[in-house]
Amino acid sequence: MRYSLSAFLTLLTVLAWGSQPSLAQDLSASKCQALLSELDADKNALWRSIPWKTNLLAAQKSAVETSKPIFIWAMDGHPLGCT
Amino acid sequence: MLDRESTFAVPETVRLLQSKFIPVALDQAYQRRQKDTEGDFYRKIASQGPRNNFNGTTQGFYIADAAGRLLLYNNNRDPQKLLRLIKKSLTDFGENPPQGILPIEPEKLDPRWNVSPPEGGLVLRVRAKILDGYKETKNEFQNIFQCAVSRDNLWVTKEEHEKIGQGEFPAKLAQRIARFHLVDNTRGEPPMWDSTDIRELKIEITDKGEIRGEVNLLNRKADRGYEAKLQGKFEVKNGKVVAMELVCLGDFFGEGRYTKGAPEGKFPLAITFKLADGTDIADRVPPQGSRGWLNGYLQ
Repeated sequence: MRYSLSAFLTLLTVLAWGSQPSLAQDLSASKCQALLSELDADKNALWRSIPWKTNLLAAQKSAVETSKPIFIWAMDGHPLGCT
Repeated sequence: MLDRESTFAVPETVRLLQSKFIPVALDQAYQRRQKDTEGDFYRKIASQGPRNNFNGTTQGFYIADAAGRLLLYNNNRDPQKLLRLIKKSLTDFGENPPQGILPIEPEKLDPRWNVSPPEGGLVLRVRAKILDGYKETKNEFQNIFQCAVSRDNLWVTKEEHEKIGQGEFPAKLAQRIARFHLVDNTRGEPPMWDSTDIRELKIEITDKGEIRGEVNLLNRKADRGYEAKLQGKFEVKNGKVVAMELVCLGDFFGEGRYTKGAPEGKFPLAITFKLADGTDIADRVPPQGSRGWLNGYLQ
């Protein structure tokens, strides 16, 4: 019974989902180019000017060679990649 | 995203990191689990801070010396507070610098957490943005999320690369794109799609050599979905793909445990894919969906 109810609710959602008009615009060639440009990275973003390393041992080696401390930006998901 | 637009948008912080520190960016989900030399060094540093249970996240900013002595842990998103702490750590470091420390040689390398892009394959930069649907906000951090463009990488195997060169879009690659890259990761780590969430999926190369596709994704609880079209193009020289662009545009709804705050109802989500040229250090970052199980991601 629980499975039947779950399946029924899913069906309702799918039907409701499909009946709503699309909010996204048509995907024309010009729209594609506009989106590629809009979502492209800002090469001048300030954080990009920081010489990030992605390996902690490479950072430790540089820290020894330059007598500098290590700054670690440790996130859930790679700070330079995911999200 | 938040840190890129706030913490590292403060010129003085950036100048200090450029000149006085060795900056390193990590997905700590790797280092805290790695059974190797790098993992040992990371845990040595992190264990001196408050997040020293390595079964959970150790996210934050750390400053340490080359001996592994922790000078600062901070997970506060106030950019000015972090700047003050960075300056204090620099003073602490100057007063007591490590002596006689040598570079740590990597004696062990945990293969599960040390992965590289497939040899002979391709890396595509993947970006996503919500185009509309948010309510107006005066909150600075909310505004950053609402304008966010996310970043991930798509890995394509050598065999898939060759098939594209022959004018065929590989089914496994289409599945990988749908499950791991047609996600809303603009506010944090997103839930990926199960294979059973794919209700419809068609990506193909037309007779004109263009990429066309349609996708309909809906999770089992029916509280998250994405219905979209894909369009793209590519260029092949001597059997190798030398340029490739793909755009996915459609209506998304729902959110995940770590991506709260999505617009209500359906909202337009655009996702772009562009062949990486290797000039960005982030081009070598593994796809989020491959974390800890590369074979599962590539299968």
